[in-house]
Amino acid sequence: MTTPVLEIRNLHARIDEREILKGVNLIIPPGEVHAIMGRNGSGKSTLSYVLAGKEDYEITEGEILLNGENILELEPDERAAAGLFLAFQYPIEIPGVATMTFLKAALNAQRKARGEAELTTPDFMRAVKEAGAQLNIGNDMLKRPLNVGFSGGEKKRAEIMQMALLKPSLAVLDETDSGLDIDALQVVSKGVNALRDGQRSMLVITHYQRLLNHIVPDVVHVFSDGKIVESGDKDLALKLEAKGYASYGGEAA
Amino acid sequence: MRANFPVRLGPAEDALIAQLKAAGADAAAERITVAGLPTRRVESYHYTDLKTLLRAIPPLATAANEASAPALRIPGAYNLMIANGAIQNAATAPAGVIVGKAEGGVLTTRDDMLVHINGALAKEALTLTLENSVDPVIQVERRIEGEAAHVADALKIFVADDASATIVETFSGSDAAHVGNHATYLSVGKNAVVTHITIDLSARAVSHFATNEYQLADGAKLRTLVIHAGAGLARTQVFPRMAGAEAHADLTGLNLVADGQHADITMEALHAVPHTSSQPLFKSIVRGRAKAVVQGKLVVARDAQKTDAKFMHQGLMLSDEAEILSKPELEIYADDVVCGHGSTCGMIDEDSLFYLMSRGVPRAEAETMLVRGFIAELFDPIEDDELNEALQGIVDGWLMGAK
Repeated sequence: MTTPVLEIRNLHARIDEREILKGVNLIIPPGEVHAIMGRNGSGKSTLSYVLAGKEDYEITEGEILLNGENILELEPDERAAAGLFLAFQYPIEIPGVATMTFLKAALNAQRKARGEAELTTPDFMRAVKEAGAQLNIGNDMLKRPLNVGFSGGEKKRAEIMQMALLKPSLAVLDETDSGLDIDALQVVSKGVNALRDGQRSMLVITHYQRLLNHIVPDVVHVFSDGKIVESGDKDLALKLEAKGYASYGGEAA
Repeated sequence: MRANFPVRLGPAEDALIAQLKAAGADAAAERITVAGLPTRRVESYHYTDLKTLLRAIPPLATAANEASAPALRIPGAYNLMIANGAIQNAATAPAGVIVGKAEGGVLTTRDDMLVHINGALAKEALTLTLENSVDPVIQVERRIEGEAAHVADALKIFVADDASATIVETFSGSDAAHVGNHATYLSVGKNAVVTHITIDLSARAVSHFATNEYQLADGAKLRTLVIHAGAGLARTQVFPRMAGAEAHADLTGLNLVADGQHADITMEALHAVPHTSSQPLFKSIVRGRAKAVVQGKLVVARDAQKTDAKFMHQGLMLSDEAEILSKPELEIYADDVVCGHGSTCGMIDEDSLFYLMSRGVPRAEAETMLVRGFIAELFDPIEDDELNEALQGIVDGWLMGAK
């Protein structure tokens, strides 16, 4: 059996004494897109932060294996270099840091960490242009400070562009559909689908089935009260949309 | 005449009094004899108590025999130097720049000890008259070389109507425990556009004091930037006077302080006539056990209607022991103005740091990016690329010292 891109084993995590993840188990083989659906407060976003290595959470039990390597002890930047990418639900605005400067720093830091040569400026410009073109991201946006004054749609497009540029082996998309109108949703989904290449795996976290019409998952998981309670094919998402999450117990947030 | 309630004077004050008397500045000597150096009870020195902070005054400077390396190289700049108070002028001035000398005492008299001392001790002033726009950056290096010395020097600049210029002053010298008291008077003519940058790059042992006074005529546009990145004790006083309609000043500054340092930017902007504006924006970055002070006072004269002025100070603390003190003041006598002030202070934003790191940027580099981002507002308006890069280099050097 090939090594899964992501394997989560019995993951427990807490913040300020409150347990949020209560035994998550998940395996994503290469090339597959898995969706996690669940109501607000079920712990979906926590899972994405814990995967990316946010400091606020304490891991009390379990393991996260990325391409077979345990990444729990790694800093967020080391996880990125190892092939993990998290598209934020709310991308952070960073005044004073030009988007272009940031992209170059991120790309070259990852290459350096992997022992690869830094990109020359012309090669870098070409790569950014290519990645940007698909997502309608022009020079004016790249010159602006990172995410500052970007509309909701622009922020999400910029996230997907970074993903295209950084070429992760696992992309975690946290509520990428939130704050998007239908046109923006299509642009973003197209960008994501263009990155499905049979090798790259994705974990798509969402409230709504809507996104999954555009990014069709191989497997759908239902998340409730800090763990996965049911898994199935894409039809499970439709069933959830019709019936809601009530049958999985727990309280609405 | 002794005061009725004598102040206990320390060795610094005794030395100062002797130097002032020797220079024939009896009034200034008497002032110190009566009141001593300003303490925290003097409002404008509340956070920079000179009586406590300034323990010794070295002997008055003698001519410098050697010179340390230039503190900051700005490619293409026209350079002038004042070393130990003496004016040195070797390079050929660009067209339209008249270099000369005048009596010291370039500042307008005001109730301020540093101004009094400079006026009494600065024997000569370097004068620059810019008759038209000057392309190269004009750099005035102010040095204190050799053994520990007390230096009072002065610079007076006139920029003609409609002219434009960028003037940079750097303060540096040997590693001894100097006390520098520097004065700059800059007159900006009608519709002239001037950028004036003063950068303290002195050694840690130095106590650096500078007073920058500005006079703005009708339509004059002034941008100032004070950078404290050197002396153990630094205070720069910024006194602009918007004296002509439509005059505008962007008054900016940056305190970079680390372990044991104390840096103070004190501004008092006077809007003297109607229809003037100013935008004071100061930033302080502190690491280790150190202190940054920014005092900003906006004064609007009675008939200075339609004044538009907003003071802002933002602090970034890189350590738990960092101390940032902020004192905004408004003194408004007109009744139809838009004036405001604000002050913020915080640590590096954890969410921003996580975001950058999640894209592969290592922690130290991410922190550097965020600090640079914090400062960007101050440097972005400096259009000269070489100068901008030189300024960025100062910050990078400071940040590298942090690791």
